[in-house]
Amino acid sequence: MSVVILRIAAVLYAGATAAYIVHFARPRHTRLATAGAALLGAAFLVHAIAIGVGCSEFGGAEFFSLRGGLVLMVWLAAGAYLLLLRFYHLPTLGAFITPFIVVVLVPALFGSPGHPELPPDAVRHPTLTIHILSAGLGVALFGIAFGVAIMYLLQEREVKGKKFGALFSRLPSLDALDRMVQRLVRAGFVVYTVALVAGTITATSVWKSAWSWDPQQIVSMVVWILYGALVQLRHSGWHGRRYALLTLAGFVLVLGSMVSLKVVPGVTRHTGDYGTNAPAGGPQ
Amino acid sequence: MSAREIFLVGLSHKSAPIEVRERVALSGEALKGALGELKRMDGVREALVVSTCNRVEVFVQANGVEPARLFFTSRVAEAADHLYVKSGVEAIRHLFRVSASLDSMVVGEQQILGQVKEAYGVASAAQAAGSYFSRLCNRAFATAKRVRTETDIGRGATSMSQVAVELVEKIFGNLKGRAILLAGAGKMGALSAKALAVLGADRILVTNRSPERGLALAEQVNGNFRAWEELQHLLAEADVVIVSTGAPSYVVTREMIEKAMKARRHRSLCLIDLAVPRNVDPACADLSDVYAYDVDDMEKAVEATHEARRGEALRAEAIVETEVLAFAKERETRAALPILAQLRRRAEEIARAEAQRTLAQVGSKLDEKGRRSVEAMAQAIVNKLLHGPTARLKQAASSGDGSLAGAAAELFGIEGEAPRPQSRDEAPAAASRAAASERT
Repeated sequence: MSVVILRIAAVLYAGATAAYIVHFARPRHTRLATAGAALLGAAFLVHAIAIGVGCSEFGGAEFFSLRGGLVLMVWLAAGAYLLLLRFYHLPTLGAFITPFIVVVLVPALFGSPGHPELPPDAVRHPTLTIHILSAGLGVALFGIAFGVAIMYLLQEREVKGKKFGALFSRLPSLDALDRMVQRLVRAGFVVYTVALVAGTITATSVWKSAWSWDPQQIVSMVVWILYGALVQLRHSGWHGRRYALLTLAGFVLVLGSMVSLKVVPGVTRHTGDYGTNAPAGGPQ
Repeated sequence: MSAREIFLVGLSHKSAPIEVRERVALSGEALKGALGELKRMDGVREALVVSTCNRVEVFVQANGVEPARLFFTSRVAEAADHLYVKSGVEAIRHLFRVSASLDSMVVGEQQILGQVKEAYGVASAAQAAGSYFSRLCNRAFATAKRVRTETDIGRGATSMSQVAVELVEKIFGNLKGRAILLAGAGKMGALSAKALAVLGADRILVTNRSPERGLALAEQVNGNFRAWEELQHLLAEADVVIVSTGAPSYVVTREMIEKAMKARRHRSLCLIDLAVPRNVDPACADLSDVYAYDVDDMEKAVEATHEARRGEALRAEAIVETEVLAFAKERETRAALPILAQLRRRAEEIARAEAQRTLAQVGSKLDEKGRRSVEAMAQAIVNKLLHGPTARLKQAASSGDGSLAGAAAELFGIEGEAPRPQSRDEAPAAASRAAASERT
């Protein structure tokens, strides 16, 4: 059932993507941007229903798989983007965010989540929900920062290369994009920090040790340090191209580690039996 | 009484040299006086004069073209060789094209619409423009707005200083809290610095080899003068640097910029070199966070705009054409509308009543399809019967002949007054038309 609702959401996401892309090609039609935002809002709500129905169907178990994690993340990214729209006038950003949402969501539409195994009750710690949600939101914000960084690099190429073409006139100013990347990185870092703290509390309780050299923990720490460095580097004058490139690298690392750690079986205790049979363990 | 028509007599940058244009151009009180004179001439009902530095055009609704021609020839004899004359739909099209900036020297430029609006305001205040020009001009303005929103004709920069503004805007967004440095006293530099004021720069710094000219320039652009020796230091301070000196070689070198970038902790720097030969080492552009442009780059951007606008102009012409034809057609219909509407209403009432009567008698024997056929037949008779009179009344009305409409009203027993105006401005327009036909 939840998959069917998710498919409806995906159609709405695709509609929003189409509206945003056509708006990007024909910026005079400002109504398209409005339509894109409206469709995205509708998609977000339908997606929320799908998640709710999914929770009652599988007891939240689906969010312990890669598929479920991505579904959740995409939903948070859409929500974060909608929130961003309330504060900044960035109609062209939609054309860079919504396609990612659709691409990430499409694999989740085929094949039902089946009957994902519920993680053992032992890992069901109160901080676990906070850990999962904040990790998802943090990654979603890094994802949006990734989209804006791409916009920055494209616009920088136009401005520096003296092209003054279609992209030049459509994309916002370098300064606006640069500051947006910085804000998103900073917000993402804060949320991601919350995720790590919640994760550590969960790990201490479930695995009886805060740090156990689990690959997921190591990668998360690397990501945290990288984005922390980005926040810090800002104060020493880092900005623009180098900053955008680092933002790209950070997100590639996040996404790559997320996928590979879930795909390779047993590499981390964030999958399978969550280390509850082993001396230590913990959820993602 | 011959038919009243709209005429245009004018000259523009396309037909007349500046020497002639500046002699016939009018503004202020002189313009009001000329409008009054035009209005008083025999057979002129309404008049509009558009006078800018690129064109002087006289639109009249009159019996003939002579009054408008006299406007020019009575004051400047040699204007006669440069005049163009248009009438009817041609004149309407011209006004629409001018308002939409399709006839401008720089196609798509923004000012002309304001200038035509102002011209209409003056003519209206002087009571030279009445209901006809009111409708004509409003339609022309609406068309211009349509062109502006539906095409990209106004997009892009058409001058070097506009290119500079566009570039700086794409780098910094705006210049709040930032500084512009104007190095050298070249004319283009000052123009660009002034144009950049729209982005709200906090400070304008001016430096020049000779302090006298530098100080004068600083006053002109509302900036602070700094000594030329401080240039290296100023490069670290300013965010946009406009260089236009007469120096034969680079005054801003790569080494200077490298040093400045370190001092400014790699905050973005925009270098605009307006000098020929160039004053900024092109190698500066290779440094990261440095955006450097020279005259060639700026000119290419201007040319790209012109090219894009040429394409958009074709689409704009199509919009203008639709609007011109719609206006001309509307004008024809409106002229004959009050009497036609009544005539049609009366006929349709009769047709409906007769159809009802027939249906009351034989309707029970007919099925739904049959009943509809009866109604359709009655309607068809009305349409066929009124087709000829409608066409002839429209034709007569558009050529200013009100007598036929009067005859029709009399013949069909219709009161002269329009019972239900179609739109808000219909009634006064009809009234003024009635008044006009009384005078003729």
